[in-house]
Amino acid sequence: MSSPIHSPQGNWWIAGVSVLEKTWIRISVVWCLILFASMIVWASYGKQNQHGPTYRVSTSEYIQKVQDFKKAGTQTEEGIIPADEHIYVAAARFSFDGFPVVLKAGKQYQVHMSSYDVQHGLSIRPEHALSKQMSLQLLPGYEWVLPMKFDEPGVYHVVCNEFCGVGHSTMHGSFIVQR
Amino acid sequence: MIKELFTNDYGPDGFRTCSVTGMRIDRTAENFVKIFGLTAVVALVMGGISAILVVLTRWEVVGLLPPDAFYNWLSVHAWNLLIFWMVFMEVAILYVGGPMVLGRKLPAPKLAMVGYVLMLVSAIGINWSIMTTSAPDQAPLLTSYAPLPSSEWFYLSAIVFILGTVIAALPFFAAIWQEKIEHPNRSLPLVAFGAFITAIIAVEALLGGLITYIPTYMWRIGLIEHIDAAWYRQMYWIIGHGSQQINLAAMVTVWYFLTHVVGGAEVVSEKVSRSAFILYLFFINMGAAHHLMADPALAASWKVWNTSYAAYGAVLASMIHAFAIPAGLEAGRRKRGAGKSLFGWLWSAPWGNPVFSAVIFSIILFGFMGGITGVLMGQMQLNLAWHNTWATVGHFHATVVLGTTMTFMGLVFFVIQTMFKKELIMAPLARIQPWFYSGFMALATLMMMYLGILYGIPRRHASVMDIPGTDFNFGAAEPLFVIFGIAALLAIVGGILFAGISVGSLLFGKKLEPSSVFRPAASWTGDGSAVHLQSMRGTFTFTLIFLAVFVIAYILNWYLLSRLWEIG
Ligand SMILES: [Cu+2]
Repeated sequence: MSSPIHSPQGNWWIAGVSVLEKTWIRISVVWCLILFASMIVWASYGKQNQHGPTYRVSTSEYIQKVQDFKKAGTQTEEGIIPADEHIYVAAARFSFDGFPVVLKAGKQYQVHMSSYDVQHGLSIRPEHALSKQMSLQLLPGYEWVLPMKFDEPGVYHVVCNEFCGVGHSTMHGSFIVQR
Repeated sequence: MIKELFTNDYGPDGFRTCSVTGMRIDRTAENFVKIFGLTAVVALVMGGISAILVVLTRWEVVGLLPPDAFYNWLSVHAWNLLIFWMVFMEVAILYVGGPMVLGRKLPAPKLAMVGYVLMLVSAIGINWSIMTTSAPDQAPLLTSYAPLPSSEWFYLSAIVFILGTVIAALPFFAAIWQEKIEHPNRSLPLVAFGAFITAIIAVEALLGGLITYIPTYMWRIGLIEHIDAAWYRQMYWIIGHGSQQINLAAMVTVWYFLTHVVGGAEVVSEKVSRSAFILYLFFINMGAAHHLMADPALAASWKVWNTSYAAYGAVLASMIHAFAIPAGLEAGRRKRGAGKSLFGWLWSAPWGNPVFSAVIFSIILFGFMGGITGVLMGQMQLNLAWHNTWATVGHFHATVVLGTTMTFMGLVFFVIQTMFKKELIMAPLARIQPWFYSGFMALATLMMMYLGILYGIPRRHASVMDIPGTDFNFGAAEPLFVIFGIAALLAIVGGILFAGISVGSLLFGKKLEPSSVFRPAASWTGDGSAVHLQSMRGTFTFTLIFLAVFVIAYILNWYLLSRLWEIG
């Protein structure tokens, strides 16, 4: 009897392996290679990839950048219309800065993101489809720049989904995407 | 009465022979297994109490706790269930997998005692520091993400707990060492080998914990001025995820052990199963990188390499075990004529024994729910849709609750009957406990996954039905929350049932001769044919069903991702 609580007898390395077990291992290897490949393929051809440069930044520098962004943009009742394709947003305990931002559908923006204090989450979804959700991690000291393009107009709500203190569920911001 | 729990009929050399497993058991090793196991159950009870408060808060129809209390109890929930219940059990498993399986004395029992005391004191310290959190400190949750500060006593206790665990693991390593000195040409039994791999993975994780918590403690008490958030995340996840990989490796080891002693499973290929453990050793540690997929400061190539090289080496290992363990059961039972049809070997198994049903449910639910979702959220781009949603919480409830906790519950039932030699009280309830608990827990877990993926419900929130200052809220998800709330409460009832039966059996259970409940391993005789030549077509069918579900879930997730706006 080959028991898991006794030392195996003889040379177990050369003992036979069931055909079905070997088949399953081959299937598994192929499947794992597909899993690996799909990330690389999507990185080249897919439209959702969280690639973008990160820069070190001090909190005071980044506060200044967001202030400059707000000043350069046009203040409207809906929110800030950015002066160019660069958008600067930030999370702080317990609110977002730089929001709401008014965007044009179909236009690509460079979204700069950081935190003024601790770790936060930036979780975005359109009001009309909660399942279309995407989440990013924001770290103090790091300015992350990600290109984003919203094709569907609508209000995209932003909440913080990283615990940043007792008041964190009150954090809210929005991207207003217009035609 | 307490003393009675720690007595058994040992011979003059301090050993007894277990009538079920045939193992030669050393008195000291057995007593430590009992002490660590009982402490683990206390942590489970503590975690279960906090679970009630957490569920009744997140189900906002009740909305029990205010946010500050909620986050404290959520932290208590995480530390007691993910860490203390698991780690105390795992030390017990090391002492079973090392000294007991090898028939040796527990080396250096004083170290075991020192380790235990340090672990116990620091576990109490962590609970106490969480409960007394006050501004500017925040509840640590599991992650205590710097630079958000937690109590300095929390970090200090975490350091002591890690040291205590390392010390408690030393007698295990010593037993393996002695065995190899005495029998250099004898392979370790598979269970001892699995425990050995588990222990190495554990030490890696624990060292990562020291690298994380010592500087963080120094930062918290002001010796270091600045702590970098990205650095913290990298270091933290060495232990944060590493500790869960200890759970995985320990659980798989227990699967081999219990399917054998309760169901008559054999090892269909030592080579394949051991190679899979070796894959864990080399590849599983970097799987921790999947927590950093939505982070800045890391290159895409770093993310793809670390999740893929690592995760898929480990995924492959898990897929191999997913075949090898049920195949062991199938081949072992077929060899003895238990069931000729495709699944006859399974239907004829001892389903009325809660040890058996707990293990089988944990294998199935871990694979289908925990394993698949783990791969999905570990894919760099798919992680965008999973990160920090409640679906990730669903994933680790599938792995750690439906998988590890269920397995460990089965093991506790086994230990109560074979080491404490007590009959399980309320036998009919004990019989249905694994069905009840895993059924409702699976439903609650599924709801967390749906709520996270289909409604984007964030994790770690006291309330999502009302966000002050905006009309926006997650009210659309309310119906699923109802199912979640009811299922979770019923699962907790299943947990209470477990604790009640365990503690009740120890205190009031009748004295039991274990071989009257479990078939002694020595009586499992077959027709003498080689185990790898037995049919494994039932297992193969199961694994093909598993693969089909995997592929469908995989394609569905990429489809959902492709519908999002363009990023990157
Ligand atoms: Cu926040």
